[in-house]
Amino acid sequence: MYDAETASQLLRQAPAMQRVKASARVRFSAADGTTRLADLYQSGSAKIRLPKVYGAPKTAVMINTAGGLTGGDCLDFEIAADRGAHAIVTGQTAERAYRSSGGSAKVTGCMRVDAGASLEWLPQETILFDGSSLGRTLTAEVAEDARLTMLESVVLGRKAMKETLNSVFFSDRWRVRRGGKLVFADDIRLDGRPETFLRGTATAAGRTAFATFADISPDAEDRLPLARSLVETLASPGVDAAVSAWNNLLVARFVALDGRALRSALMTFLTGYRSADLPRVWYC
Amino acid sequence: MGTTIIIITLVTTGIPMTDGMTLSALYRLMAFLSPAFPIGAFTYSHGLEQVIETGAVKNATELEAWLKDILSYGSGRSDAILLKETYRAAMTADAGGISDLRDLGLALQPSKERHLETSAQGTAFMGAVHKSWMPDANSLSADLFRADQWQDGAPWPYPVAVGFACAAHAIPEEPALTGYLHAVAANIISVAVRAVPLGQSDGQKVLARLEPVIFDIAGKARSAGLDDLGTSVFLADIASMAHETQYSRLFRS
Repeated sequence: MYDAETASQLLRQAPAMQRVKASARVRFSAADGTTRLADLYQSGSAKIRLPKVYGAPKTAVMINTAGGLTGGDCLDFEIAADRGAHAIVTGQTAERAYRSSGGSAKVTGCMRVDAGASLEWLPQETILFDGSSLGRTLTAEVAEDARLTMLESVVLGRKAMKETLNSVFFSDRWRVRRGGKLVFADDIRLDGRPETFLRGTATAAGRTAFATFADISPDAEDRLPLARSLVETLASPGVDAAVSAWNNLLVARFVALDGRALRSALMTFLTGYRSADLPRVWYC
Repeated sequence: MGTTIIIITLVTTGIPMTDGMTLSALYRLMAFLSPAFPIGAFTYSHGLEQVIETGAVKNATELEAWLKDILSYGSGRSDAILLKETYRAAMTADAGGISDLRDLGLALQPSKERHLETSAQGTAFMGAVHKSWMPDANSLSADLFRADQWQDGAPWPYPVAVGFACAAHAIPEEPALTGYLHAVAANIISVAVRAVPLGQSDGQKVLARLEPVIFDIAGKARSAGLDDLGTSVFLADIASMAHETQYSRLFRS
């Protein structure tokens, strides 16, 4: 009747590791041209703070108080901008994916940007450590005349600490629907020994940091000349970047020697492209 | 009229072709993936023209390394998965699945010219099959292929169009995948032969050396699903974007 186990059997089992199970939700609404917080929910190690900002859109800062992610962790978040709202969501610091002792860490993000609203998803970089395994999925529903800008940047190990990675698994999935139709999808996949598959001239020429930026908005293509001129200023032996625009979206990719070079390139590009400073946490 | 079944076994590589393939399936697969099939394949370089311009591909060895990465970590592997998913959706008459794959194949492109490369070739491929090679079999996939719902004038991504047509023509899945990857590789090699330039025999040597790579990707695609999609060819994506502003260009991508 009961599936009883003896004490010795129980002792032999590996101790249950404490795993992150976190979720966070934030929603902004607008009235009389002012964006306000409409809903905030946080549980587990996911926290959201709304620092006072002056002369900048309402900004939410996501914090993972667990200090990083490892196999078996689950982090979910939802971000919404109601009709006419303008908000920025960023992260307090770099996200870290640590060695996994089993399974993948899972991060799932859902975004909704309603008519006339503008949402900027500008997290700081994700650092992948040796043996880490992270699967991330970001889905967004964007209204026809709304704007979503999104960034993801990834750094393999910390070069300054002389870290090299023997094995890593990373999967990053973006699915953006505009007016219900899939308009942009991006799947990044790293599986195995980075020195092997990021060595070539088609992949990363041995570099260890990369990023993708996308601007989904009806007038995204108008910003192509600006984006191109910004990318030209980044040209250096340590950074490769280019930009393209089609079907009411603009996409930029960046490959850099290390995390520091990537961050510097992204700050120049994003500040120029947005004609605004990045959220303060980026400068800490 | 009897149907001839040929079983091709590739003795030299030790990789047996597991599917029996009719002669008419072989004939059609060769037609669809021939450089003469009117999809304008020869006008697309997948960003390689820009890579050649910057000096990163100057000879056959560098071409082989670049192309191997495109096949293993770039659109080769991803397109093979999309083709196989479309093929299986067609076999089960899953029209909704095919529509979703059509949207996904277009949305997955990282740049304007890569979007053009897959949509112009895929749409032209569907048009040519509809005009000249309409499947006449009584099968779920052929019935679905003939359905009016696809006459919507909207674009098709190339691997999805090929997967759908191969299913409708009862071309077995593994030869379809292998043929598709071969066609893509051969086309990129022909770009390099013209633009580097390379000798014809150097180009053929690269194609010969990539045979096991293509078999491996085709085989793995058969057991992979949409969750396995993903690429890491960041510099090739950047090259296709940078190609838009290249001063002197022979190719549309």
